[in-house]
Amino acid sequence: MRPSALNRPVRKSIYVGIAGLSLVGTVAGCAPSAAESNPAPAAGGSSAAATTPSAGESALASSGSSYKDGTYSADGTYVSPNGNETVGVQLTLAADKVTDVQITQHPSNPNTRKFQGEFAGGIAAQVVGKNIDELNVSKVAGSSLTSGGFNQAVEQIKSEAQ
Amino acid sequence: MPHAGWATFSFEGIGTGWEISTVEVLGPSAQQDLLALVEDFDAAWSRFRADSLVTAMAREPGSYSFPAEAAGLGELYRTLYDLTGGAMTPLVGASLERLGYDAAYSLRPSGDPLPAPRWEDVLDWNGTSISTNAPVVLDIGAAGKGLLVDVLASALEVRGAEAFMVDASGDLLARGPVGVPVGLEHPYNPAQAIGVVELGGRALCASAANRRAWGDGLHHVLDATTGQPVRTAVATWALADTAAVADALATALFFVPGAVLEESFDVSWLTVFSDGSAAYSAEFEGTLFT
Repeated sequence: MRPSALNRPVRKSIYVGIAGLSLVGTVAGCAPSAAESNPAPAAGGSSAAATTPSAGESALASSGSSYKDGTYSADGTYVSPNGNETVGVQLTLAADKVTDVQITQHPSNPNTRKFQGEFAGGIAAQVVGKNIDELNVSKVAGSSLTSGGFNQAVEQIKSEAQ
Repeated sequence: MPHAGWATFSFEGIGTGWEISTVEVLGPSAQQDLLALVEDFDAAWSRFRADSLVTAMAREPGSYSFPAEAAGLGELYRTLYDLTGGAMTPLVGASLERLGYDAAYSLRPSGDPLPAPRWEDVLDWNGTSISTNAPVVLDIGAAGKGLLVDVLASALEVRGAEAFMVDASGDLLARGPVGVPVGLEHPYNPAQAIGVVELGGRALCASAANRRAWGDGLHHVLDATTGQPVRTAVATWALADTAAVADALATALFFVPGAVLEESFDVSWLTVFSDGSAAYSAEFEGTLFT
């Protein structure tokens, strides 16, 4: 079912959120610093992601066109040469909208700390998001809108997966 | 639109949406001229179309003459190839195809990750002349969108425009005396921003690893020395005088700390990591929500 124009960005943001989720298990890795000429380690990223919607439903499993309300969280663990790394993401969905995104910081991440310690600029321990429609901005710098063909392919895969 | 009363010209080009905002309305002939530049660019550089110069080069090694923008692009890529120890290269096309990011958008890996060939082994990029001694899939994706932003900005300036903004779906270039407040898109939620910067007279480009993610741990920012996706940094921004440089450096930030890039480029940068922390150069001080 084609959502109305009004709903489109909303559905897109949900999907991107979920895509981020599925990726997070393996994206949290060591910092493969090319400056050190260390090739990135082989994949081996065993995602221990446990998606546990509080409503007791499984994510994206509904056969309808909308997503189940609830708070979805996933932890991903990844073994890097510097030890275990973990990242947590929590999404809250309500009426097909992402109402909250929390990225859980795991301060034991040694390589990120090292990465952060190598320059004299600024560091933010934790950035937070604010709703763009509540900000006084007319433009957004980001990459979520890139590539219509790619997005079409993702939509197709998504429909096949339902 | 960036300022009240400005006119906006929207179109699709190189697979993405564009908005050019100008003080004066662009007439039909001006619009046609810009669209022709987009078509010329696509016909040269797209590895997604069968009739492009890049596709011809993938079929048949040899010496090819590219449009004028190739000269600066070659130097930019060569500098970054050296700075990243070969991780960032225009020869990454076949690696991307292997992981499923191919002309048919199959989005399914067709084998093990494929390291890119070494520049010095297969490629001679001399100004606008690009020569190969093997079939190589050139992919200028790391800088291409920004490069086209610059091409269109130059055309607008030639026409006499002094204040305008080019928005290539989130890669931005602003010219003119008045800055534009720009939100920095949240890496996991495009309805949110993690900060606001004032953009005036320069280009701001972003790259993110969670975009174009199409499988477990597979995304479009690859370390070309291994053919594997890069991990840890999830979103980057770069501010520079040209969009080609800003676009390329936003990708380079996935491989090299921003402080290293500052040694070779006039750039301000911001990197957000997978744990929600951020690192940035002085110009981004005070722009982030924390």
